Amino acid sequence: MPPRVDPGLCNGCGICVELCSEDVFFGTPGFGKIHTEKAVVSHPEVCWHCNWCVEKCPTAAIRLVIPLSMHIPYKDAPG
Amino acid sequence: MRTQIVDSDVLVGGGGIAGLMAAIRACEMGARVVIAEKGHTLTSGAGSAGNDHFLCYIPEAHGDDLDAYLRELREGKGGGIANLVGATHAKVWLEKSFDIVKLWDEWGIPMRAEGDWTFAGHAFPGKLRARLKYWGKNQKSVLTKAARKRGARIFNRVMICELLGDGRAVSGAVGVHTREDRLLVFRAKAVFVATGEIRRLYPGITPAMMANDTLPITLTGDGRAMVFRAGAELANMEMIYRHVGLRNFARQGQGSWIGVYRDPFDKPLGPYVTRPDRWHGDKTPEVDKELFARIFESARGPVYMDCRGISDEDLEFLLHSLSNEGNQAVVDFMAQEGIDLKRHRLEFMTYSMIAVGGIFRDERAATNVSGLYSAGDEWGNGISAASVFGWIGGENAALHAQRAPAASRGGEQATVDAVRRRVSSFTRTDGGTVYDWKDATYALHQTMRDYAGVVRSGPMLEAGLAHLARLKAKVHEGLRGANRFELTRCLETVNLYDMGEILVRSALDRLESRELHRRADYPITDPLRNGKAHTVRRQGEAVVFDWAPLEKKAPAARKERHAPAR
Repeated sequence: MPPRVDPGLCNGCGICVELCSEDVFFGTPGFGKIHTEKAVVSHPEVCWHCNWCVEKCPTAAIRLVIPLSMHIPYKDAPG
Repeated sequence: MRTQIVDSDVLVGGGGIAGLMAAIRACEMGARVVIAEKGHTLTSGAGSAGNDHFLCYIPEAHGDDLDAYLRELREGKGGGIANLVGATHAKVWLEKSFDIVKLWDEWGIPMRAEGDWTFAGHAFPGKLRARLKYWGKNQKSVLTKAARKRGARIFNRVMICELLGDGRAVSGAVGVHTREDRLLVFRAKAVFVATGEIRRLYPGITPAMMANDTLPITLTGDGRAMVFRAGAELANMEMIYRHVGLRNFARQGQGSWIGVYRDPFDKPLGPYVTRPDRWHGDKTPEVDKELFARIFESARGPVYMDCRGISDEDLEFLLHSLSNEGNQAVVDFMAQEGIDLKRHRLEFMTYSMIAVGGIFRDERAATNVSGLYSAGDEWGNGISAASVFGWIGGENAALHAQRAPAASRGGEQATVDAVRRRVSSFTRTDGGTVYDWKDATYALHQTMRDYAGVVRSGPMLEAGLAHLARLKAKVHEGLRGANRFELTRCLETVNLYDMGEILVRSALDRLESRELHRRADYPITDPLRNGKAHTVRRQGEAVVFDWAPLEKKAPAARKERHAPAR
């Protein structure tokens, strides 16, 4: 479930923690203060895919993994 | 728990589009302004991830006849608030819309999609195009900056829970910090409530994933619930809306698409377009939002969005629109999945039920309680109305604060103590039967869907109300949160139960069927209810309903002028 943080890329800047209105990253160490620890996704169930954490991450450490139940059905229509 | 006192002239509850606009205007009027926002003003509310359409009347584009513009808007069922509030109200809004658009443009939100005012999408071919196309992805950061620049103090991560006041006038609100062990008492001469609409009242399309919704599920009607408890009127709480969008991936932005809605045999579902049309889109689902549900449920589906034949330039315009409408996640998903809109057809659907009523206010954004103002999705829909009435409400709240005497502290301590008790109750660890916020939410979803769902009746609503009352008592007693995140969800759940109960009571009181409020026992739409808002307010322990005419009587002088010659 979204978002997924790559610990190898996360520099612990805390921008995602600060920005997320839903508090998906609630409880990340250093939470609400000065961030030095890597972001922890503690509440993926409230993510509504606004994508700001992905777009504002300075090290491109976050991507959204869209749950299977949300995959859009489609059909190929050549021509 | 630490208590912090914050003094201001105007308290704004909710830092979405309406709240930020109210704060900006109130600051300009010289008021000391405080914003309390449950999340963060950069990413909160219905406008959080952006928008790409703004209802805007520009005489040089639409002609001088505002009535004609309004008529077209209503015909297209795109009137939103125009249909809910009557013409007087709608005119105040539309006359101001271009001024707001010009301000936003000046502040740095790209309101000229193609170099100048551009109207595209949400339109019938050959008819007036009412919606300004714009690129609103940065709107929350621009408005946050504008509010701060004018001196507004923003308290992010504070959920306001109860209004302060003596029953006649408001004097602030009590808030709970969502990350720290802190209570905030906001003392103010006027309060502008704009916490937005209610999600999480009915189940969404993926019951196991309640956040699969077109808007954040932290929008829980906190404002409506607290003003109701303080004696303000709500209106049309039983009325229902259903949105249309991509199947499974619930998003707003149906009007961003450039293509044709077709059945499995390629037949267009509506009479409007047969090929992708950048200037109009396909209005079909806007005329009847439940069409796709009926087609699917009768096995005549699926319904497809067909963009075949779209030009490269229009495809780029479509993807840019989706991104600005808060759908970058969809754009990225399509790229990962290898979906090519020139080839693939995507399924669309009708989403679940959403309550559309809200705080009843006049065209000054004033409620029936002195000093209490409201706008945004609290009443009616759309970013345009939110910004205009935010502006108007901020101005009137500031004027009220100038005139108001020093706020009375009557009842303040009792309200602070009540909020403190609620917080203590939800966080105590002394055992007993405990429930968590998700369980409480699912129980509410189930009850609302089963007893106040697509078709309603007196006996079903009565049974639902009785069950809801029992659940509510258990929720108040047994709800627990292990940390501030869960505590916040618990406080939201209390509001959801209050509003669920009011919805069911309102549905019981409306003895007719109208739009998506369908009573099996009262199937007719009662013409005597046309042009009226169904209001509800609390009087002591009683709940009082009324019907308020939406149009004010014309002034006598004006009536005479239009009287036929004898």
